[in-house]
Amino acid sequence: MTNAIEMRELTKTYGRSRGIKGISLTVEEGDIFGYLGPNGAGKSTSIRCLLGMLHATSGEAYVLGYQVGRQQKEILKRVGYVPAESYLYPSMRAGDVIRYAARMRGLDCSGEAERLCRRLEVDRGKRIGELSYGNRKKISIVCALQHKPELLILDEPTSGLDPLMQEVFFELLAERGKEGATCFLSSHVLQEVKRCCRHVGILKEGELVKADKVENLTGTNLRKVKLSGVQKVPSVAGMGEIVREGEYIAFPFRGEMGALLQALQGLEIKDMLISEPSLEEVFMHFYVNEKQEGQEYGSGMAGN
Amino acid sequence: MVLAWQEIKSNLKTLLIWAFCVGGLSLGCLLLYESVEDSIEGMAEMYSDMGAFSAALGMDKVSIGTLEGYYAIEISIMLSLGGAMFAAMLGAGLSAKEEEGHTTEFLNVLPLGRARILMEKYAAFVALTALFHMICVLLILCGFGWMGSRPDAGSFMRYHGAVFFMCIEVGTVCFLLSVWSRKKPIGTAIGLAVLLYMADLMCRVVPALERVKYVTPFSYCSGADIFAKETASVLSWGIGAGVTAAALAAAVWKYKRKDL
Repeated sequence: MTNAIEMRELTKTYGRSRGIKGISLTVEEGDIFGYLGPNGAGKSTSIRCLLGMLHATSGEAYVLGYQVGRQQKEILKRVGYVPAESYLYPSMRAGDVIRYAARMRGLDCSGEAERLCRRLEVDRGKRIGELSYGNRKKISIVCALQHKPELLILDEPTSGLDPLMQEVFFELLAERGKEGATCFLSSHVLQEVKRCCRHVGILKEGELVKADKVENLTGTNLRKVKLSGVQKVPSVAGMGEIVREGEYIAFPFRGEMGALLQALQGLEIKDMLISEPSLEEVFMHFYVNEKQEGQEYGSGMAGN
Repeated sequence: MVLAWQEIKSNLKTLLIWAFCVGGLSLGCLLLYESVEDSIEGMAEMYSDMGAFSAALGMDKVSIGTLEGYYAIEISIMLSLGGAMFAAMLGAGLSAKEEEGHTTEFLNVLPLGRARILMEKYAAFVALTALFHMICVLLILCGFGWMGSRPDAGSFMRYHGAVFFMCIEVGTVCFLLSVWSRKKPIGTAIGLAVLLYMADLMCRVVPALERVKYVTPFSYCSGADIFAKETASVLSWGIGAGVTAAALAAAVWKYKRKDL
């Protein structure tokens, strides 16, 4: 199978500032790949390097078999991109922007654009300057999908979209996935990556700290437990360090949930929250785990 | 040429405002001539003998007492300066507006290539500058027609051709500034146009600054010089062409290497 994206020791620095550092990553054709990391981790920098907007300081990258920088036009013909910030021309009407993007590709995508606009409920008569961030995002999505690209590069595509539109967007993504398109989805929302991606890469401070199948990443039974109304809880296997967070006590738990609930029975609990670890917590897990097992992970998480 | 056409469309309003302001002002001043004709005729001789002031405006070469002379001295200043300011502003906005408006991502993920993006923008700049001059020329010819006069066709065409070329030169330098900037350098661009005009005036008045005429493109498009049948030096034209070509080449070079 050919690789849709291949980065080899890709590095980008801005003077003394870090951008990304030695990223080597492979995304197979047809895959839906999640690119995770907190703000400033280097997700957008990597994407901009792939799209040729930034010139890598060192290393090389290939998109759909074409070398980034040398065969950029061939790459861009086959790629659809949704930027994190959807800035478009404020004086143009939505429909004109969509048509303009298609015409610049030398294509007539009116049929597909019409279908996408209907699905995403885009008002094509309005001027960009009158639209909300979410509505501008929808136009960016139409522009990125209308030419049916082989590779979709999506940089935080759901930011600004309401839950209904997020649903429609993921349906569209799944349809494109079935048609054989590759998706490279950059996000800091763990849930959306869990929902639709097969593989995931985690970035921290410009470095790729983990690339794996989603189930290997999120299959952990780790949960964060917060309780109010009690001062302490009986010790249960799998329980991490207990810390106080205002009215609550919180601890990481990776044992049997039944055993925990049994241990909590009879306590005067006012409120109880059991949540999946946040991205940062999973992130800490992979980052710290390589150096120090167990306790540090627990403390890092409970502190959040 | 989809991008070029889009640029033309998006700058059309600005073009019409500037063209009708500069062309309209020129037309208005032409029409005013009738009312001041008698007094200007009387003052023409005095104007031609005012030393440095006459030399700066070319009144020692053509008489302001004729409609053609009045056009070559008075109206040409508005047209040259207005045209240069318009071209400078246009050139300065074309590339930097994408970075300032954050639309550079939208544009640069389309499979055109950076050189093509820039060249289409430049083509739009040339077309808009040409349209600006066409509107101005049309209005001025209407003025001459209304006055029942006709300027010397050769001088008129040479003058407008030179002004157009000067505007292209000034605009191309500002286009280069635009590529180098992340925000539209409009103030710098208009300042540059005015500075080059001032340099032309100074080099006509101060003998020590004579060589400055090779730096400022206003030196080869002086209405008074052209209507007096004086030809600008080949060196001035050559430098103008060289600066334009070099600025365009540098703009493409920079844009292709720039991190967006």
